[in-house]
Amino acid sequence: MATAVRDKASAVIGKLKSLILGTGDRNISRIRRRRKLTALLWKSLPALIVTLLSAGYFWMLAIPLPQLGQRTYIDENALQPGQVRTYWDWADVHRADQYLEGLEQLRGRNASSDEIAQHIATEFEKIGIPASTQRYSFSTTAGVTNGTNAYAVRSSPRASGAEAMVISASWISRTGEGDGTLNLRGVSSVLALANFLKGYSLWAKDLVFVISDGYLDGMQAWITSYHGVPQSNMWAEPLELSSGVVWTALNIDYPGHSFSHLGVFFEGLNGRLPNQDLINSLFVITRHTAAVPVVVYDHMDPHEFPGIKADLAGIPEWVPGSLRENDDVVEYGYRAKNILRHANYQARGQASGVHGLLHQFRIDAITLFAVPAAGPHGFHAIGRIVESTLRTTNNLLERLHASFFFYFLVGTHTFLKVGMYLPSAVLISTALMFAGLRAWVEAGWVWERAAPEPEAGADDKAGTGEKKGGPDQLKGRWVTRRRPVLKPLGIMLATHAAGALLFFTITQPWFVAHQEAYAVPVFALFSALSFAPLLLSPPSSSSPSAEAPLPLLLRALTLCLASTVTSIISVLNFSLAASLALTLGIPLTLAAPAHSLPARLGKGALYACLALGWLVLAPGEVRRAVWNWEVLRVWFAPFVCVVYTPLMLQAAVVNVLPP
Amino acid sequence: MLSGWLFNVCFFLSVLAARTVALHAEQFDEELTLRPLRDGKLAARFSFTTLLKGVAPRNPERLDEDDDSQHYTLFPLALGQILREYAVTEMHLTLNAGNWAYDRWGYPDDLGVSTGAELWAWMGEGGPVTVDDRWKGLRNALAGLFCASLGSLDEQRTTSPALTFQPEGSLPRWNASHQLRHATLPSEHVCTENLTPFLKLLPCKARSGVAMLLNPHRLFDADWHGLGVHVRYLDAGVEVRLAFQAVFDPVRLSSDKRRDWSLRSVFDRTIDRACPVARSSEVRVELLPDSAYAITPDPSEIDGNRATYAVKDRTEPLDVAMRWPGEEAFQYPIEAAPLSPLSVRRTLKGSSQSDAQLSVVIRNNLPVQVRSSYLETMPWLVEFYLHTLHADIGGVPRDDLVSVISYTAPVPHTRPTLFQAILTLPPKTTLHLTMDVTKTFLRYTEHPPDAQRGWDLPPAVLIPFDFGEDPIQNHTTSPGTSAKYARPARPRRIYTSVLLVDLATPDFSMPYNVIIMSCTLIALIFGSVFNLLTRKFVLVRLDGDSAEQKPDVK
Amino acid sequence: MDFRLAFPALVAGRLLLAYTSLPDVLKNDHQLSSPLTSYSRLQEGVYLFQQGFDPYSGGPFRHSPLLLSVFSTVFPLTRFTSPILWTACDAVAAWALVRIWRARQNIAGSMRDTLVAASYLLNPYIFLPSLAFSTSSIENALCLTSLMFACQGRSSAALMALALLTHLSLPSILLLFPVSLLLLTDPFSHLAFPRPFVARIPSLPPLLAEFTAYFLGLCAAATLLCGNTTWVEKTWGAFLLLPDLTPNPGLWWYFFTEMFDHFRPFFLMVFSVHLLIYALPLCIKYQHDGVYATYLLLGVLATFKAYPTLSDPGLFLSMSALFPETYPYLRHPIVTTLLHLHASLLLPLFHNLWLTQGTGNANFFYASTLVFGMANGAALLDAMWAGLRVAIGEMRGECEVAQE
Repeated sequence: MATAVRDKASAVIGKLKSLILGTGDRNISRIRRRRKLTALLWKSLPALIVTLLSAGYFWMLAIPLPQLGQRTYIDENALQPGQVRTYWDWADVHRADQYLEGLEQLRGRNASSDEIAQHIATEFEKIGIPASTQRYSFSTTAGVTNGTNAYAVRSSPRASGAEAMVISASWISRTGEGDGTLNLRGVSSVLALANFLKGYSLWAKDLVFVISDGYLDGMQAWITSYHGVPQSNMWAEPLELSSGVVWTALNIDYPGHSFSHLGVFFEGLNGRLPNQDLINSLFVITRHTAAVPVVVYDHMDPHEFPGIKADLAGIPEWVPGSLRENDDVVEYGYRAKNILRHANYQARGQASGVHGLLHQFRIDAITLFAVPAAGPHGFHAIGRIVESTLRTTNNLLERLHASFFFYFLVGTHTFLKVGMYLPSAVLISTALMFAGLRAWVEAGWVWERAAPEPEAGADDKAGTGEKKGGPDQLKGRWVTRRRPVLKPLGIMLATHAAGALLFFTITQPWFVAHQEAYAVPVFALFSALSFAPLLLSPPSSSSPSAEAPLPLLLRALTLCLASTVTSIISVLNFSLAASLALTLGIPLTLAAPAHSLPARLGKGALYACLALGWLVLAPGEVRRAVWNWEVLRVWFAPFVCVVYTPLMLQAAVVNVLPP
Repeated sequence: MLSGWLFNVCFFLSVLAARTVALHAEQFDEELTLRPLRDGKLAARFSFTTLLKGVAPRNPERLDEDDDSQHYTLFPLALGQILREYAVTEMHLTLNAGNWAYDRWGYPDDLGVSTGAELWAWMGEGGPVTVDDRWKGLRNALAGLFCASLGSLDEQRTTSPALTFQPEGSLPRWNASHQLRHATLPSEHVCTENLTPFLKLLPCKARSGVAMLLNPHRLFDADWHGLGVHVRYLDAGVEVRLAFQAVFDPVRLSSDKRRDWSLRSVFDRTIDRACPVARSSEVRVELLPDSAYAITPDPSEIDGNRATYAVKDRTEPLDVAMRWPGEEAFQYPIEAAPLSPLSVRRTLKGSSQSDAQLSVVIRNNLPVQVRSSYLETMPWLVEFYLHTLHADIGGVPRDDLVSVISYTAPVPHTRPTLFQAILTLPPKTTLHLTMDVTKTFLRYTEHPPDAQRGWDLPPAVLIPFDFGEDPIQNHTTSPGTSAKYARPARPRRIYTSVLLVDLATPDFSMPYNVIIMSCTLIALIFGSVFNLLTRKFVLVRLDGDSAEQKPDVK
Repeated sequence: MDFRLAFPALVAGRLLLAYTSLPDVLKNDHQLSSPLTSYSRLQEGVYLFQQGFDPYSGGPFRHSPLLLSVFSTVFPLTRFTSPILWTACDAVAAWALVRIWRARQNIAGSMRDTLVAASYLLNPYIFLPSLAFSTSSIENALCLTSLMFACQGRSSAALMALALLTHLSLPSILLLFPVSLLLLTDPFSHLAFPRPFVARIPSLPPLLAEFTAYFLGLCAAATLLCGNTTWVEKTWGAFLLLPDLTPNPGLWWYFFTEMFDHFRPFFLMVFSVHLLIYALPLCIKYQHDGVYATYLLLGVLATFKAYPTLSDPGLFLSMSALFPETYPYLRHPIVTTLLHLHASLLLPLFHNLWLTQGTGNANFFYASTLVFGMANGAALLDAMWAGLRVAIGEMRGECEVAQE
């Protein structure tokens, strides 16, 4: 009885086993299973690659969709934004006006940097705050920049002076990325604030007031010498006053006569973003303390101005009117506009304001930009906002760490988590990786028909033989071939070395001085490099059945490298990774040697243009990138020269080489 | 009847005896010093001194025997018991908030102005209990007495810098020598809960005498404030001095930015009555010779630029007030020369969480060469690279000006660094010391709850001791300063500001995940390795379904 | 390319690099030098020693007393001398590698010599640490010299070098097994034609005795130099107790940062014993080829030892140049390569993200060390598979090799 049951059970189990694992020897069935799987994967690989690519690109288009965003919130409980009663009143506004008069007189008789700094320092001294000035000068290939900063340290009562907050204003406003508009009201509001804030004993952190000369250079000189970091091409006087560790900083930018909206700029050098809590608490404060409408950057919120919302959302004219008026479209456009502005700063590693320079020392800082307008707001509003924000950051017991450091701020209330946008770039890089691996496997195998005696060996990869064989298997078979990687590796190294050389070239004084003259020859010279392998390497002697062709191997390795770089950069600086994916994705997957020589040369030339076109087409961009590298240590220029261009050149070489 | 009479006599005798003991064995003096400062601030310093005559500290060698019984009437009993229990010869405890600005305020009246808590004690060696055990007991007892977290002044912060912290009294001549224990806790905050037990130690509490002015609401609003307990052994006996220092800002308090002050305006109190048991009770006001001031009421006596009010022989409440009728709003002095012989600025450069550079800028304000000792007692959180210690004056290397006298390397999780050096400071020059330091990485259990804040590092201490001869004997260059400072009564400590170092933090929510993931990886590799090593290789023929065995590969 | 020409050229290039400002940048990099091999700490120890303070009284200095004595007396460490010494170490190591190759092939010289030397001198995992003047370069040099002597059958020299190496870094004592195995057999490649180990057991004890003698001698010398034995706890103790939790590419530091205090001793024991487990099985399985056993064991150490730097995996990877016969049988070479590529890019970037930029937390760097661990593990497994698989040779017809 029991035995019968057991037998039945065992029989059933046996059937199931044979169904799942197949009959016969376990090893054989296992290997067969593996081969079926790999064959399936191999067949679907091209489709998979295309799917991944398109998915990635579509995701990028979808990033501005409202469905992906979520509402912002304050994560750090200590902040308590907008919970305090502000004391800044019209007397302080009057004082700010007085300071402004003084500054305008200085501007009137266009005083030197030294005079201005001295004047400001004296004003601080009169308030009773120890102040000092700092001379500095940067020597760049474009020339020498020098100026004088003024700064003051108000050591707060009862505090040990181990922590500090920075309130700064640069002499030149960020309008037009520092086109020379003066930030007089910003400076005078900092002075008035110094006078006002000194009257209270509630500060737990020292207050450091900085009036930096120039647009970015002054603050760079000040902050680097504050942290004692030497910079080879910078000379700056050592600071005579010191304070503690700086956690947060506010930069006030108030160029116009008065303002209607308060804009927030937050991108830092090399794509570093401040902790989101800082931005969010500012939004809360502006909403509750001073009823000032606040916007991201200087982009007006289209919902405020229904009449011109389409234009505000940056929707082009050719879009049919019905769509232009559609709220969802407008919302999409508005978000896309913000995201593009953000990516524009982040990808180039550029700071969107003076605050960005503080980021390199782990200081979470933002710029309050008073969007110039006929009214209605002025010193009164900005004073209260800054006071309340400082009270909030003054509450901090720890460095800001709770909230996000990686995000897209698509609106004043909404943002994108990293998980919402990162996959787009990663998908594309995965596609590249698969393409590379496919090329690698192709390089390892060759289809050999009419094999009388199976001599070419198959090692443990013999599985691929069948999976690619399919029906033709009777007529011939796949055999392995050698994959000499040294030559392609050499070519890749050479291109990267060329990239380094290119970078060295464009940072030379003679190049920067006569850029228009030299751009074209340099471009020609380096794009010629991509054709060099044609002359150097004669078509390999050994037959393709014995050795993998060079372009195929090079293609495989280039794709793998590009994919790796993209996916890793995407964590550090998504915008840069996204632009890499956009620029490299399609060209690299399509790079393959054509059969006719002219076609090869043509494609090669095209790719060379993709690799080096910027040299000719965007001279201004090149100049700025070089300046950013030399003064602010922004990695964009070297990155493009040493990573992007070489990868593209490798693709060009792939195109040029004979198949 | 008779018994009643006897009883009366005994009672009378006993009372007499008690009074005589009280009168002869102990005396109590209190004093308040008020010092208007150059930058419009007002420095106040309360000092309550109790002297226990003819008594010596307890000898540690007799700790196992019963202590002879103590009769205190004025001397604070709670403190006295602690001192006897742990046989402490000399002890100094200070709890301060704020950063003393030597340049603008000159030397403090009480030297111990290190931010946070500082405790140092001289104790005799020998006896049944070791010095370290008694030190441990002492700091825990004081922690209980003053409601301060002195218990965390543990081995990881305790050093023995005997050169810098010399005993202020005299040490009894026992056959065993004395030892110093010193520890600082910069992150400790002083507040009302420390002041209340402090007041309890006073014979008149805060009910009469100058102690009436100790009003927490005002004291803890002062720009700088701190309390200190100083016990020392004089030949006369054991002296306990309770001190409270504060720096007020009348300009901030006044509506129209004037620097006028009065006891009422500053403390929101007046001295209504004197403390009956005090031998002397005085209020001293230091007068600024070079300004048109008016002081009310008229002081009991004026000697030089110091007005003195004797509280005891006053009947009506005392409310000292000082006014500058001449000036509208207070004008801050611009470009004023520093008041201290040395100005010191100590910062931690660099922003990485793995290493930094300690930079100390010391300016000698005197026209004479000064030699000064320099002390660092650093917790093991920060490790010095002594070989990178460099000194320069205006960019010119001058390593000859620094001589390291003692250095104790830190031991992770156990022992702090002790670094002592002698600096030679040429007249009127700025010496720049730099030294690379590396920040250690802690276990996640060693981080405080607010880990992202970082750790407060104790201040460095300088003692300018050897003032060289003025090369050119004219004091016109710096009126008075050199004469005033070149020959101080005894070396005086200068505390630098404290530092905040942020150490890299692990993710505190991760322990399980880390254990799981690391172990998974290790198990994965281990498993596959042993698969490869143990399992046999077989050759599988795929056309025929037969797996022909191949001998294990050996 | 001609070896006699290429080798000096490579070395000269290394020397030039070492005289640029690179070392000052890399000196304190956590991936290139651990607290036990850091140049700054070595300098600190020497300074303290010369100033008359006991360098072993505190935490910062954990180098061997022998290094201390050498650098405080005969060979002062300056910005001028250090590049020479470290380049010399690399040159010696590369030279030893070439000699091992020759001994293994039993030839006087070959076209491949240059490639072998280059695989060591141009390996970024090797030359970056030695640009950072990490003493792990010295350890690598010692390891390869001892292996070279072993291949040449000069047992005393080999054991002496090994004893020195063990004295500098304790975990290397595992190499004693394969090296003595190598001394008892021949250095030639038997991977393709494995044969059981002809037992000459009686000749083993003398070797072990000799090694022990050298080792004790070195310890005695060290103790004499210090005047006490605190150095033992400070140098070797560090490998077992992990007192310093400075990040490195290895698996230990974050594990014991996050470890609960009451489990710490247990897991320390587990991690240390886990290292021991591999030594004997590997030696038994690869008894026919001592060099290969050593190579694999180095791979194990590089993955699992307490304070690894990049130069430990570097040594393993460079040594793979000795076994071209295994290349066709590597299991997933491309996957391993990509893993290493990812890891070598992730490690510095995430380290910077965590400690300098402050936008990423410790988990970022921990994750990259996990990737690095996977890469090392994959390389190790590839090598082991290939080392066994090569014995079966190429397949005739539709066959496959499997394990059961």
